[in-house]
Amino acid sequence: MEPADLSALQEQALEELDRARTLAELEAVRVKYLGRKGLLPAIMEKLGDLPPAERPIVGRSANAFKENFAQRLNVCREQLERNRGGVVPKRAWDPTLPGLWRGMGVRHPIAQIMEETIQIFDRLGFTIADGPDLETEWHNFDALNTPADHPSRDTQDTFWLTDTLLLRTQTSPVQIRVMESRPPPVRIIAPGRCYRRDTTDATHSANFHQIEGLYVDRNVSLADLKGDLTYFARALMGSEVKVRFRPHFFPFTEPSVEYDFSCHVCGGKGCRVCKNSGWIEISGAGMVDPKVFHNVGYDPEQWTGYAFGMGVERLAMIKFGIDDIRLLYDNDARFLEQFA
Amino acid sequence: MKIPLEWLGEYVDLSGLSSQEIAERLTFSGLEVEGIETVGCQAEGIVVGEVLEVRPHPAADRLRVAIVNGGGGTPLTVVCGASNVRPGLKAPLAPVGARLANGVRIQAATLRGVRSEGMLCAEDELGISSDHTGLMELPAEARPGEPLDRIVGSADTVLSAEITPNRPDCLSLIGIARELGVLFERPLRVPDPVLISRGERAVERLKVVLEDWNGCPRYTARLLAGVRVAPSPAWMRRRLERAGVRAICNVVDVTNYVMLECGQPLHAFDLRRLKGGCLRVRRAQEGETLQTLDGVIRRLTPGILVIADAERPVALAGIMGGEESGVLSDTAEVVLESAYFQPALIRKTSKALGLSSESSYRFERGADPEGVEWASRRAAALLGEFAGAEATPDFWDLYPAPVSRRRVSMRWERARTLLGTDPGADRIVRYFEGLGLRILARDAQRVETEIPSWRVDLEREADLIEEAARLYGLDKIPAAEPFARLVPGADDRPVRARLEVNRRLAALGLTEIMNYSFTSDRLLDLMDPTDRDRRARLPNPLSAEHAVLRPSLLPQMIETLGRNRSRQCEEAAFFETGRVFYRTADGGWAESERVAIGLMERPGLGSIDEESCFRRLKGVLERLCAALRMPPLEKGGVRLPPLELEMADWPWAEAGLSVSVRMGGRLAGRAGLVRSAIRREWRITDPVAVAELEMDALTPHLFRVPVYRPVSVHPSVDRDVAFIVDESVCHSDVIRVMLEQAPSELRRIRLFDIYRDSALIRAGRKSMAYRLTYQSEKKTLTDEEANTYHGYIKAGLTRVLRAEIRE
Ligand SMILES: [Zn+2]
Repeated sequence: MEPADLSALQEQALEELDRARTLAELEAVRVKYLGRKGLLPAIMEKLGDLPPAERPIVGRSANAFKENFAQRLNVCREQLERNRGGVVPKRAWDPTLPGLWRGMGVRHPIAQIMEETIQIFDRLGFTIADGPDLETEWHNFDALNTPADHPSRDTQDTFWLTDTLLLRTQTSPVQIRVMESRPPPVRIIAPGRCYRRDTTDATHSANFHQIEGLYVDRNVSLADLKGDLTYFARALMGSEVKVRFRPHFFPFTEPSVEYDFSCHVCGGKGCRVCKNSGWIEISGAGMVDPKVFHNVGYDPEQWTGYAFGMGVERLAMIKFGIDDIRLLYDNDARFLEQFA
Repeated sequence: MKIPLEWLGEYVDLSGLSSQEIAERLTFSGLEVEGIETVGCQAEGIVVGEVLEVRPHPAADRLRVAIVNGGGGTPLTVVCGASNVRPGLKAPLAPVGARLANGVRIQAATLRGVRSEGMLCAEDELGISSDHTGLMELPAEARPGEPLDRIVGSADTVLSAEITPNRPDCLSLIGIARELGVLFERPLRVPDPVLISRGERAVERLKVVLEDWNGCPRYTARLLAGVRVAPSPAWMRRRLERAGVRAICNVVDVTNYVMLECGQPLHAFDLRRLKGGCLRVRRAQEGETLQTLDGVIRRLTPGILVIADAERPVALAGIMGGEESGVLSDTAEVVLESAYFQPALIRKTSKALGLSSESSYRFERGADPEGVEWASRRAAALLGEFAGAEATPDFWDLYPAPVSRRRVSMRWERARTLLGTDPGADRIVRYFEGLGLRILARDAQRVETEIPSWRVDLEREADLIEEAARLYGLDKIPAAEPFARLVPGADDRPVRARLEVNRRLAALGLTEIMNYSFTSDRLLDLMDPTDRDRRARLPNPLSAEHAVLRPSLLPQMIETLGRNRSRQCEEAAFFETGRVFYRTADGGWAESERVAIGLMERPGLGSIDEESCFRRLKGVLERLCAALRMPPLEKGGVRLPPLELEMADWPWAEAGLSVSVRMGGRLAGRAGLVRSAIRREWRITDPVAVAELEMDALTPHLFRVPVYRPVSVHPSVDRDVAFIVDESVCHSDVIRVMLEQAPSELRRIRLFDIYRDSALIRAGRKSMAYRLTYQSEKKTLTDEEANTYHGYIKAGLTRVLRAEIRE
């Protein structure tokens, strides 16, 4: 008996184990090789006939055979036992086949930003408010202290339906509706669709979404605005994001600011997303103008408040790295499924 | 607004400040700097060179050898490749030792065997522009050897700033210098022009009548004699060009120069061309026309404010002068207008005529009524210096009702409250004084100020607080720790309910889409040409594709499915939530919120039939009822989804395959299979099922609290029944009969098979198979009991539906 013969025998034995289709067949293979009158015991018996120098070599090979055989036997037995009652399936089970469950709804990226924003402000105690898309001139402009000849009222910029009815150009009229309907304090967030006569291109869309925030109480300050927007920025974009104010001008806030988020991609060092400035312009905000309070019957001496707006498309584009606003309204399944 | 820093430095000391620093401080105090541009010659040691002679290069066809007078004793030999090199040309010469804009120092070199002692330059090599089409051509009067800086100006930085509409005072360099003076604590330097006047009095030569005090609260006119029209000095032309204004001649340039300096637009008339030596500020009359300086003849309407002479309008007040009264090359006597026009009137006229100018831009935002005289005097002084003009000792100043300066006070406590921080009273007072506010009174509670006439935006306490905030720096305002504040009584459940519907639709496996609120008549006609009259058409649409506010979400849903199919998307399950719009019977406009659902099946011939496609949609609606917590219909012990469909006939649906949908007991919307003629538009050959539901019908039960009912501990028993019935028998008929016969122990009815193609079944009949589940709350049912119940049901089916029970 040569060690080479022994290894050929081992290969043959393992193959027979694999081929066994029932537990009974498996047992027959075991008996054939390891049984009392099996092939391996027969070899072991003849060990003494070999020259002393070869004995330990063949002995070691025989032990390895025994060990390998026992191991494979266990694996095969387990597999056969897993098949119900030891019945052999007609086809081997292939767990790598694709799954069959199909249902997987994906929220639109704009809706995701809205939901996330609402949830973040929910934690601060903001409730959700709502207003119509068909808005009155009073709510959209007059009450918001926008002068009669302000350019934003122009037919070039606003979709007028009648002399006094229009498609709202911002979610700010919801502020007015809420304040008209209940006494302070007020703490609301108002998501919604807005319209401007912008020709559609990579960054403009004639309809778009905004989220408006309004907080009116005693002693609300710019510091509160900065604090709350910072909280929001970090919750939405990442815990390192900072918020920066630049003075600006809006008819319905005084002081008015534009606010920027530090770039969540590069951490403010400068990259493609922030055009190397380290900052991303978000939108406008400010302290509610006393005239607005006057228009809704709040006493500006008693109450102060902040208001902010933000463009949802812009936030979605920044957060998800979308470079063309039109993709958001194209509804290509291959685009949408990326936001699962 | 373009701000050349070299010019700005006239009014405030900018030494030691980098342009970045200046730009940043301006941006963070409210004048957003959008661009920083470097202009002028960026190279060093460049002089004017005159080409004396051009010879061919002995070894290179594309090169030539120019002999150039660089102002030194001996002419230089310069090898040059530009095509416009020619004898007599004056061009920038970089002699040995000069440095180009890119930093390269010029050395003498041998080019293909010819020694070159310098270089003739194109504009890009000097950093003047990116032009490299040929050598820069200098004016003929340039002297050889003269430093180029004298001609094109030395390097300068030009900022472009966005001036918000509330700050017309910053549409001027002095206005911006004032801001910087406060920000960097440096004094403002405003020139004090002194006129040396001679000659006759203005009133004797010129008559001015102010007919409209409202439209023009202040009008001044100054007469200047002895004017010699010529080009302005190079430095003035350069400053104007860097500020974005084309240089024309000294008279026009000075008016522009002063406007950019102080924000007051000026206009110059040629006295000779004013009929009757007269100016009248009045409204235009019906039928009058005026050819403005842009060459356009404009028909004027009453209401437009004009400057007229004795016979006709000669200028559009505050907007643009007339062609027939302006300065000519031989003008000798100039009438210089400096006035204050009412902002709203100028804005209205400018818009009505579709004509705006640097002048109207400033007037419509609000110029400074008190700055009118200074601007006139400044321009007269400059014209005296650069056009030989002599001013009359007097001038017309019609200012019947001088505006009084506003007084505004600010409470320190209020400022602290609004800002959430305290910049300090002394600091704030310093800011106010720097801005030109007069401090009238100050104590521990408040400060009272007088607002300068150029600050049209400062009217109230809040405005002063904003000034303090922006100059102090918004970056110094701390971010307060956010806190949750619950406002009692604010019920937002109706809004939350609508959001919740979206979440549950997605949870059912539908993907959300968003379409524009606008659509086209073309698409709507394809779906339903009968509703044309009720559509909410925009009075001023952007395009025909976006001309109508959508009356339904379905057209775009189908379009979206179609667009995806044309991009080889196999199957899709979409939903959209959005508002739809329509005209009411009385002509009003209305909106409501809807939900659309669209299912598109995988393509392939006959892979899915219409019935299965519709049943998939129905499955979504059934699950939606449950997801929206609508109470199930309870029939005995059986619970059925609260979904009822009634045959309908929607224009967009395949005949006989459309239904109206009731959910939770109320009419919710409509559903059906899209007509193949519509599908064909996008080459969809397989069934498409859509539904549209009113949002309000979906939310009433959403916040219903489910109440636990014990689950029976006794095992249930299943019994199957299969039978053959006429095709006319519906599933709902079967259910009805089963429920009529059912004991209270019947829990569940499941259809598991419908079968037609068999030799055993006659045409016009079908086999249906159901599994019924029986269960008692009280005990374990025996086989006999189950069989008895099942027997009643079989008997009922046979009796009512003439079903042939298959055993
Ligand atoms: Zn970045």
